[in-house]
Amino acid sequence: MGAAAEAKTGSVVDDALYERLAGMAAARAEDTGPGRPELRAAAEQALFHEARLLDDRRYRDWLDRFTPDSVYWVPLDLGGDPRRQVSYLLDDRRRMADRIGLLETGWAHAQNPPSRTVRTVSNVEAWPADGGDGYGSGDVRARCSVVVWEYRRGRLTPFASRNDYVLAAVDDDWAIRIKIVGLVNCDGDVPKFAFVL
Amino acid sequence: MIDLGGLVEPHRVHRSIYVDPAVFAAEMERVFGGAWVYLAHESQVPEPNDFTTARLGLRAVIVTRDSDGELHALFNRCSHRASTVCQQEGGAARNFQCSYHGWTYSNRGDLVNVPFPEGYPDGFDRADHGLRQAPRLGTYRGLVFATLNPEAPALIDWLGPAAPLIDEFVDRSPGGRIELRNRQRMIYKGNWKLAWDNAADGLHPTFAHRSFLVLNERQHGGSRSLSQFKAGPDDTGMYGDDLGNGHMFVDQRPGLARSFWETQRPVPGREWYADRIRSEFPDRGDEVLETAPGSMVNLSIFPNLLIKGNHLEVVDPVSVDETRLHTWVAAAAGAPEEVNVMRMRIAEDFPSLGNPDDLELFERCQQGLGIAEIEWVDMSKGLGHPDQQILDGGVRRGPVTHEGPMRGYIRAWLELMESDPPLAVAGPGPVQCEAAG
Repeated sequence: MGAAAEAKTGSVVDDALYERLAGMAAARAEDTGPGRPELRAAAEQALFHEARLLDDRRYRDWLDRFTPDSVYWVPLDLGGDPRRQVSYLLDDRRRMADRIGLLETGWAHAQNPPSRTVRTVSNVEAWPADGGDGYGSGDVRARCSVVVWEYRRGRLTPFASRNDYVLAAVDDDWAIRIKIVGLVNCDGDVPKFAFVL
Repeated sequence: MIDLGGLVEPHRVHRSIYVDPAVFAAEMERVFGGAWVYLAHESQVPEPNDFTTARLGLRAVIVTRDSDGELHALFNRCSHRASTVCQQEGGAARNFQCSYHGWTYSNRGDLVNVPFPEGYPDGFDRADHGLRQAPRLGTYRGLVFATLNPEAPALIDWLGPAAPLIDEFVDRSPGGRIELRNRQRMIYKGNWKLAWDNAADGLHPTFAHRSFLVLNERQHGGSRSLSQFKAGPDDTGMYGDDLGNGHMFVDQRPGLARSFWETQRPVPGREWYADRIRSEFPDRGDEVLETAPGSMVNLSIFPNLLIKGNHLEVVDPVSVDETRLHTWVAAAAGAPEEVNVMRMRIAEDFPSLGNPDDLELFERCQQGLGIAEIEWVDMSKGLGHPDQQILDGGVRRGPVTHEGPMRGYIRAWLELMESDPPLAVAGPGPVQCEAAG
């Protein structure tokens, strides 16, 4: 396939996007002060809805919650630069669609039987995202603590993470522009997972 | 004592090699002590006083480059009361001090300080109480191996026909060396040899990775990653080699419809980075892009190193039915940064989309192996088949779906297990390090 044909199904990932992700990772532990209650309500609405769609395995609906330029990132090094490091996954929308498409083939053995999950989203905080990180003034940065309990083949497995989001105002709703899942054991023994965290 | 003789037949192996804790305990000494075991890569300890940690079987090891630049594989065990002395995964340190009673060691193992020295019996000599270390180290193209077996062959002889294949892997980097970046770590509930059985198994992709095959065809059209296994893999010319000493090689290149780059699934950033490379290298953009994906061969260095794609996958046994896989990604030294950025994304692609299915199947195998009355596991495909050939140098080659490489590593495994090689540890100070390449 030549470059032109590739562009048709293109990726939005470029150096500028990596720069933003690396900046978010580097600033992960910075204290941005208390969150804004009026933004938290909107963030909670978006994050709780996302959690419910994932627990119900409504993956196409889940994908619809993301912007066309979205990134879903599960790093191995929470403060690292994704250009220099491998992650568990760093998906643009195309690879998010692939991840779902894989499950839809019906031949993903690691999801046969599928995982049942229940996730708790808590400690939600939100701030305006116009703090010099390159995003428009309408965006919101949110962070939360998440525990996903996965039950599959007789085993109950917890996945604990602190997640960082950039949410974009779209019409009267919120779409997810960036989702970063910071697993507490990201550099340890993470059990295999083939569902969406 | 375990009776090994009855566990391996030409066409099958006994289930107990996967489920018997006594076999596992013996393996951790005879195989993961008696063979050359991959520990680390020199790029993890580039400067004097750098260290990284690894495991030699179940033994915790600190791989150090001492102040003189010499490599050591020190056991992470205080000579006093056995506490580990290093808690970090890597870094730089001249000394390692045990937190328990303060004994302090240099990075070549010398015991340099014992607090409150009064009261030890006459004849207590610090020189007798240094950190113990592997007596033999060897390096080949940056790969660091160790063995506890004084009678093991020279590293270069152990590697045999695998050595030039390591060269091919490393020489894909313009700088003639690789640099390890970080690793993915995955753990599965199954014996370590299930990963080894799988490593040169050209029969499984068509079925085990059907989700990946179907996905790629639906979303991205044919002839993408793994499509060479869609149907009739043995009609493509792909082959598997038993290289001797348990090493195995699979060559998928004859099955590729087009170049590595063109058959690579589209990963995030593919277009932007490819454009950059094409404009930076107008005359040889395609050639540069070809170094971003893996080279579609799988080289397995017995007993614990699987080189596939741009990965060094280290098989790290935990217990008879649990195994950890460390998937280190290799950057190409001297390559344009764009190539290595794409290597990071490519290194997430099959590992996150395809590997979970492998691990699932390993766990299902371990479950099936729990049935005591059904004793045997078949490994017969290709045995005595006319398409099996013996090449110069003793390499045994067969069509990719044949199980010759699997039988080959089991033969090497049995030889080590039966010979019960002598194992030794060395005291602190200089050790023998064979720079084989």
